[in-house]
Amino acid sequence: MMNLSRSVALISLFLLPLLSFSFSVDNPTDRRVLVLLDDVSLKSSHSIFFTTLKSRGFDLDFKLADDSKLALQRYGQYLYDGLIVFAPSTERFGGSLDSKSIADFVDSGRDLILSADTSASDLIRGIALECGVDFDEDSSAMVIDHSSFSVSDGDHTLIAADDLVKSDVILGKTKIEAPVLFRGVAHSLNPTNNLVLKVLSASPSAYSANPSSKLSSPPQLTGSAISLVSVMQARNNARVVISGSLQMFSDRLFRSGVQKAGSPNKYEKSGNEQFATELSKWVFHERGHLKAGSLVHHRVGETDEPAIYRIKDDLEFSVEILEWSGKSWEPYVADDVQVQFYMMSPYVLKTLSTDKKGMFHTSFKVPDVYGVFQFKVEYEKLGYTTLSLSKQIPVRPYRHNEYERFIPTAYPYYGACFTTMAGFFVFSFVYLYHK
Amino acid sequence: MVKSTSKDAQDLFRSLHSAYSATPTNLKIIDLYVVFSVFTALIQVAYMALVGSFPFNSFLSGVLSCIGTAVLAVCLRIQVNKENKEFKDLAPERAFADFVLCNLVLHLVIINFLG
Repeated sequence: MMNLSRSVALISLFLLPLLSFSFSVDNPTDRRVLVLLDDVSLKSSHSIFFTTLKSRGFDLDFKLADDSKLALQRYGQYLYDGLIVFAPSTERFGGSLDSKSIADFVDSGRDLILSADTSASDLIRGIALECGVDFDEDSSAMVIDHSSFSVSDGDHTLIAADDLVKSDVILGKTKIEAPVLFRGVAHSLNPTNNLVLKVLSASPSAYSANPSSKLSSPPQLTGSAISLVSVMQARNNARVVISGSLQMFSDRLFRSGVQKAGSPNKYEKSGNEQFATELSKWVFHERGHLKAGSLVHHRVGETDEPAIYRIKDDLEFSVEILEWSGKSWEPYVADDVQVQFYMMSPYVLKTLSTDKKGMFHTSFKVPDVYGVFQFKVEYEKLGYTTLSLSKQIPVRPYRHNEYERFIPTAYPYYGACFTTMAGFFVFSFVYLYHK
Repeated sequence: MVKSTSKDAQDLFRSLHSAYSATPTNLKIIDLYVVFSVFTALIQVAYMALVGSFPFNSFLSGVLSCIGTAVLAVCLRIQVNKENKEFKDLAPERAFADFVLCNLVLHLVIINFLG
């Protein structure tokens, strides 16, 4: 007994450093990130972005996209928790990487940042298509905007975009004041796909066309349908950022000032660095990651969970939801978490109230229907992980001795019966002893 | 014409009244008991018409107790009436004993059915 516990302690001591280097349920922020570049100079031309990632504790592994030793998995275990693909012109990845292995990577719950640029290879387009994002078919097309461009550019291809999605989770609490500089290709999203979201949209006057040749026909992608940067949160809560411009992450655009054409505001520094930093915080699960404890329910006045409820019982329900702050689990505060008491359709739908310490609770009366119900919490808020919890509980009708003993509406009938009996008694006396 | 019909009605009523006064006292007591129980039954029916027949078993039980006991009292009156040729040989004590027994069974049944 002693020997076994000692050996287990020794083995766990050796495994402990390994365990702390991966993301897990208790620590959802990614740690090891593989960065694929198609040009070694990207490491220095995008150094600010990589340095901010490293300063937040990420373990960046830089590799060329056609490195023949590339591998995401070894012996069935994933080597990385996140992937950044800054290789827009790569036709084939080296090693064991291809679009299918990247799709499997996202399917396993791991995160991805994918960026195209003025030239996007078919491989990159294919990976984006897997995530629900459609790049413009024309390989020489770029986003052109004749009214929303940066005044420092003569070509009208350097867009100053400020149509950001309104989400504090994805883009941080501080508003990004300066426009974001963008030069690259356009993509669009399927409107029926509810997993993808436009984070940075083009203005209504933008269109996607080849800037060096005359337009022969009206462009296919125009206006706000063009998305410049999109995100996708998969059903397993893996997060993907797809950007049409690699230059958006570059040091040059991070540092440059910006003035949008037609606007008098001149900003010293573009919004690129803040945008890229906040987006990377969201995609690597430093923000907006929720975890729920188990659902707890019991009758009012009791503490144990009963195996079965009776109709018209009063019950209390509570669930604990925590939010990952990047370093620790903090209580989640929101006023829109709802619980359903569900059997084919929700009989009761209540908004939970919070005590600001992570516990969400409510109380309600079991409906007058018996059957097998479920407590369901389905929480899908923009930018947050989806919570889908359910717990089954049967509900029974009244037992025969749980009905009220005397029915108030029937009191006259009770009275009449006893009056008749009394009358009979009195009558027989009078009949027998009258003179 | 009107005066004669009202006078006829009054004469009719007076003759009925005088004929009825001639009946023996015990029969009058039975008649009073029958009127009382039928009246109770009518009250219950009026109440049911007002609030609906929700505990229908209670309603039936209440009405049955009144009507049943009225029926048994009428049977007693028939058997005890000396002018009735059919029951000449039946002792009035036997008739009263039957009445009491049947009433006991009736009340047992309605208390059971009352709910």
